[in-house]
Amino acid sequence: MIPTEHYVALSAILFAIGGVGFLVRRNVISALMSIEIMLNAVNIALVAFNRAQPIAHTGQMFSFFLIAAEAAEVAVGLAIVISLFRIRRTVRTDDADLLKN
Amino acid sequence: MPLAFALSPFIVLGVGALLLMLAESFAKQRAGLALGATIIFLATAACSLGLWWFGVDHIEGLEALSPWLVIDRFSLFFFALLCLGGALASLLAGGYLPEHNLDRGEFYALLLFSTFGAMMLAASGDLLTLFLGLETMSIGAYALTAFRRASPRSAEGALKYFLLGSFAAALMLYGFALLYGATGHTDLAGIASSIAQLAAHTPNPDAPVIAAAARAPMILLALVLVLASLAFKVSAVPFHMWTPDAYEGAPTPATTFMAVVVKGGAFAMLMRLLLTAFHDPQSASWSSGWPPALAMISVLTMTVANLIAGRQESVKRMLAYSSIAHAGYLLVGVVASIRSDDGAGSVLFYLLTYTASTAGAFGALILCGSKGAEAVSYEDLAGIGRRHPAAALPFALFLLSLAGVPPTAGFFGKWFVFRASMDAGLHWLTVLAFLNSVLGAYYYLRVLVFMYMREPAAGAPVATPMRSGYVTAALIASAVLVLILGLAPGKSLDIALAAASELGHS
Repeated sequence: MIPTEHYVALSAILFAIGGVGFLVRRNVISALMSIEIMLNAVNIALVAFNRAQPIAHTGQMFSFFLIAAEAAEVAVGLAIVISLFRIRRTVRTDDADLLKN
Repeated sequence: MPLAFALSPFIVLGVGALLLMLAESFAKQRAGLALGATIIFLATAACSLGLWWFGVDHIEGLEALSPWLVIDRFSLFFFALLCLGGALASLLAGGYLPEHNLDRGEFYALLLFSTFGAMMLAASGDLLTLFLGLETMSIGAYALTAFRRASPRSAEGALKYFLLGSFAAALMLYGFALLYGATGHTDLAGIASSIAQLAAHTPNPDAPVIAAAARAPMILLALVLVLASLAFKVSAVPFHMWTPDAYEGAPTPATTFMAVVVKGGAFAMLMRLLLTAFHDPQSASWSSGWPPALAMISVLTMTVANLIAGRQESVKRMLAYSSIAHAGYLLVGVVASIRSDDGAGSVLFYLLTYTASTAGAFGALILCGSKGAEAVSYEDLAGIGRRHPAAALPFALFLLSLAGVPPTAGFFGKWFVFRASMDAGLHWLTVLAFLNSVLGAYYYLRVLVFMYMREPAAGAPVATPMRSGYVTAALIASAVLVLILGLAPGKSLDIALAAASELGHS
């Protein structure tokens, strides 16, 4: 059986990839995908930690809720991206610079 | 039946929001929707106050809800507070939306659903409901920010809010996963007892997979992640970058809603998490690690926000920075609550005064600008005190309250927070907060100077105030609250203290 530490290490690596991707990429779609990678890292960690509790399924249940709620969040996010694209014809965060001090 | 009574705030608000959405799609004209939303908010607040008066201790079967929903006085206080903010925001929307050609009914349904999420946050005793409440609240707020679909500023503000908000949510969720792995619990009370066991070196049977040596670093990392994302949600420096953009881009009633309800919900979540899960009962000291970090964040928040707010050209953006600065003062109270019994209560009272003054200030800003021409810059307000005293007078009152001038509500809000932090022995923090509130008075008074002592430049477009019964009603309600809280704060302070005293004992 694969030890739990390996799953946790995988999730930590995925979370770091997603975090760096969010901070580095300037394309909104890439930023959204990076956030999805981070959330999947959370899912892996939750399910892996659930192995400590063979009877309770708290972690697995949590990850189901997370998948559903994130689908709703991304739907709103994509709607915002589309409404920005209709007005400005761009999906790059650099170009969204109207609001400044 | 008793359980339905305990859940009545949620039931009234949720069913009311669904009915309002149905009514919106069948109604011929939209005029009554703002009134309907206000009534639903007030009915929910009345249910919460009724529950408070009846006494939640007398209701049987509340254990069936725990740990997911905790209906105690802390939750009930926040239900009433959030519904008050929601009611003021929907009244403002009733005047603003038709004036600026944005009259679409889904605004009110979004307000109601988002407030539902904020209430869930305040009542959550488990990481799962905390997360669901946060998402319900945030998704509605993102949509409200983007509500002006034709405006590039609205879309841009919403995009920044959404990207940083979901990044913060991801950080928080990874922190939750680590907490679950290290303690084996997702309920806040279970996490607290598990951390206490770890500190006392007693074996924890719930988390055998993770070696005991790895648990303390995991909890520490989780705390860092959760603190960072909480700072995002309450818009504390250095995680505040989205706030001025989202506040400026959003239609002003949505800005009011974000500054009042979303911030209130975020503070409820922050207090539940930090004062329940990370409050170490064995040693009521700095042992749990977050108070010094939060104190640093609060000093940074107050100072940076006040310095930048003074340099703004737009009044709306200035008010956005002012709401960041107020988050800093509130954090002082949260830090104080670890050592002083009055700390948490003073935060709740401050939130009440802040809600009334901020909703009023944004409402007065709405009133000053009419069709097509929103009054946003200082120049727009020049001379309005002489030409339209009825619009300028409430604005002046709310700004004085935000600045903390007696005898307004804001003075006593600050007074009680500062007193609690002195009681907690945080002398340097209190002095810095006091200096900051003096610094903050500068940009509030600058608005007064423009309103009463300047004349508009020759040929400049002159803003004329709009006429709306809804906005007037909201202004009168918040003005009455500001004056009552400023002249006789004792009763409401007692209520806030009673509400806060239940925190951490559940």
